[in-house]
Amino acid sequence: MSDIPVIAQNKPGKKLIMLGNEAIARGILEAGVIIAAAYPGTPSSEIMPALAKCVPYHPELRVEWSVNEKVAFEIAHAGSMSNVRSIAVMKHVGLNVASDAFMTACYHGVRGGLVVISADDPSQFSSQNEQDNRYYGLHAIAPVFEPSTAQEAKDMLKYAFQFSEENNSVVIFRTTTRLNHGRADVEFGKILKLDRTPEFDWDRHRWTCVPSSTRPQRTEILLRMKKMKEKADDFPFNELTISEEKINGKRYGFIATGIAHAHMIDALNFHGIKDKVSILKLGLVNPLPQKLIKKLMTSVDELLVVEELEPIFEEQCKAFAYDWSLGDKVRIHGKDFLPQQGEFKPETLITQFAKFVGIDYTPPESTTLDIIVPPRLPQMCPACSHRNIYWIMKQFSKKHKMKFVNNSDIGCYSLGVYKPLEMVDTMLCMGGSIGMANGFAKTMPDDILVTAFLGDSTFFHSGVAPLINAVYNRNNMLIIISDNSFTSMTGGQDNPSNGITLTKEQGTKILIENVVKGCGVPEENIWVHEAYDMEGLKEKFEQAVKAKGVRVIIPRHMCSLQEMRLVKKNKIKLPIIKVDHDVCIGCQTCVRQFGCPAINFDYEIRKASIDQEQCRGCKTCIYICPSNAFYVVKE
Amino acid sequence: MNIDQFNILSVGVGGQGVIRVTQILASAALLDNYHVRTAETHGMAQRGGSVSGYLRFGELVDGPLIPAGFADIIMALEPLEAVRNIKYAGKKSIIFLNDKRILPLSIYQSKKIVYPDFDEILANLKKITNNVFFIKATDLAEKAGNAKTSNVIMLGVLIGSGILPLSKENLEISIFNNIPAKAKEINKIAFKLGIEEGKRIRSELN
Repeated sequence: MSDIPVIAQNKPGKKLIMLGNEAIARGILEAGVIIAAAYPGTPSSEIMPALAKCVPYHPELRVEWSVNEKVAFEIAHAGSMSNVRSIAVMKHVGLNVASDAFMTACYHGVRGGLVVISADDPSQFSSQNEQDNRYYGLHAIAPVFEPSTAQEAKDMLKYAFQFSEENNSVVIFRTTTRLNHGRADVEFGKILKLDRTPEFDWDRHRWTCVPSSTRPQRTEILLRMKKMKEKADDFPFNELTISEEKINGKRYGFIATGIAHAHMIDALNFHGIKDKVSILKLGLVNPLPQKLIKKLMTSVDELLVVEELEPIFEEQCKAFAYDWSLGDKVRIHGKDFLPQQGEFKPETLITQFAKFVGIDYTPPESTTLDIIVPPRLPQMCPACSHRNIYWIMKQFSKKHKMKFVNNSDIGCYSLGVYKPLEMVDTMLCMGGSIGMANGFAKTMPDDILVTAFLGDSTFFHSGVAPLINAVYNRNNMLIIISDNSFTSMTGGQDNPSNGITLTKEQGTKILIENVVKGCGVPEENIWVHEAYDMEGLKEKFEQAVKAKGVRVIIPRHMCSLQEMRLVKKNKIKLPIIKVDHDVCIGCQTCVRQFGCPAINFDYEIRKASIDQEQCRGCKTCIYICPSNAFYVVKE
Repeated sequence: MNIDQFNILSVGVGGQGVIRVTQILASAALLDNYHVRTAETHGMAQRGGSVSGYLRFGELVDGPLIPAGFADIIMALEPLEAVRNIKYAGKKSIIFLNDKRILPLSIYQSKKIVYPDFDEILANLKKITNNVFFIKATDLAEKAGNAKTSNVIMLGVLIGSGILPLSKENLEISIFNNIPAKAKEINKIAFKLGIEEGKRIRSELN
């Protein structure tokens, strides 16, 4: 038994510290899920690798990294149609990608329980926006669950499949970063074994989306939501606590869900008023439990809705109060006290709750520093191949005084927006680089080079369709698909470029140049080159700029973080690079313009040096140094 | 031990092991039967950027984040990161700084941006609390036999100083659960050296 990873063990009652995402994976396992598909995205990325660890011991599980969230959702939907419990996992913006499938799948309903995890990212720790996906529940007329602790995430997820089957409805399971990426104590439950063989029911009226099918389904979906509304008050993870006590002569009430509920309890405890106020904790955030809310509203004078991001509960509660003629009996607050942007900070809740209930509170004094703290932004790693091609593009642009409109994309190369490279002009969404380049191809004059810059995983995710569009419409552009064989920004997941699957088995490796060729880019307009060979890469880039039509350069080198793992494992000796201080003229090209984190500059002696702990021996510094001061130490 | 809550903020630079030390402390707190919550920086922030690990344990702990001004301990694996997170420090906070600088690339982009002297860092942190201590963790780790044990040195300091309400035994178990078996002996020495260093500091605490 001890060889089995803890997460896969059927040991109800076992207690351990788990990352929120591991607890979610355990919840998926305990629920008896068969199909799980996902595309990695912060803060959801650790769920699938944790689940994949269980596969050898629970061989009924079928898991995969899909190429994008829409495909992942479609796989889960087919799983549900096949009468087995199925889940699709993604970050909040991933649900935008999947939404075309998701919105109509909600009409179809489910056979096997079907859950989609949306991991939202308030404060945008690692995301392009902070959209609140609770709205998708209202939009798709689907129930939304939101847990507030890791334990609850596990337990509620298990219940979500039962709920999905009982209500014939897709369930949205919404989490936020602090739950996904926080650790807490979790107690295991039993792993359900649902003895169901996947089988299809050939019910074409149900599973197709011709209007004659989905028009009547629209009637059904409205009816289903009506029923769920009626039962919302009995939802096992909603909890109402009524307090008869008053603070300064008034009765106060609070509504919260998710991690905001945890912060709220802390802040109430901080002021010692937790037992003096009424609290409604929501686990089901769509539809809202109206009887519980009515009970709360009629028990308090002032009500504060504590929800991160959008005022979704607040607006519904205000509408309820109007319907129930409670408008003059209870005052409903929310965004008048609490921010609509970013995650809640505990100190904000502590201060604002004091204001809300009229307690004197002075927050700890803040200090003014008399030093400037240098910013420490995320950056591309030492030996990152993306930096190399950016450098070549930048030098070319300078030398030939040629302006670029460089459309970048979602991935580590997004970091090219920052100093010192500052090579990114636009960035929007997965695959958006080629899409937007199609537009700029129509608007920019000939002397401005329109480029699109994206990585291997992003290309497979959403880059193929806009590439076909470019070829078909003759929207001329230069596309750089910087191939490092991994989905790196989210933690180095495998993808079609290296051909390894989620369960670390051999899948089919797909060569990007073959796809590009298949999309109609002529062979003479495709350049594949080793990304560490700067001379050669520069030559290819120059050829590509001169050529006409849709051109694709594929600089290729394995993600250096992943390569370092192999180096360590196989005890490979890396070349040692040093700076010859007699040759270094102190021009700072290496630190001011190239920006490899392994290069330092000493302002006292005005010489560069290499941090040997960080250097990965890629030798690119030897190429970029104008005075040839970097050299490989001979053994 | 029956405490309402204890808040530890670990900070540093991506790749230094902030998440790992937070995880080690969290597991130790669970072994001591506390409720435990952490919040960590994953994803983009790990690419050499600033990283924070929040740890809270005790009877009255629900959320994972530490309110500004209420960290009991701030453990900075890189000194500048303590200054960046100064809002979490209060009068009662105890701050430990590993004295190893990691220069942020931003210092090369403008002459106005410089890495402050350790004296300036100390003076600024001392505006909030008297209990600020630089630890020669890298030197001590080299003494233990491997510079990479500097985080274990820091954990030893926390225990040795007597301010961490966790048992030494459980913290040690938790450390060993989180490192390769072959590194056990060297980390044992590092932990011990850290504890001695912490004991030395104990007399200076006020």
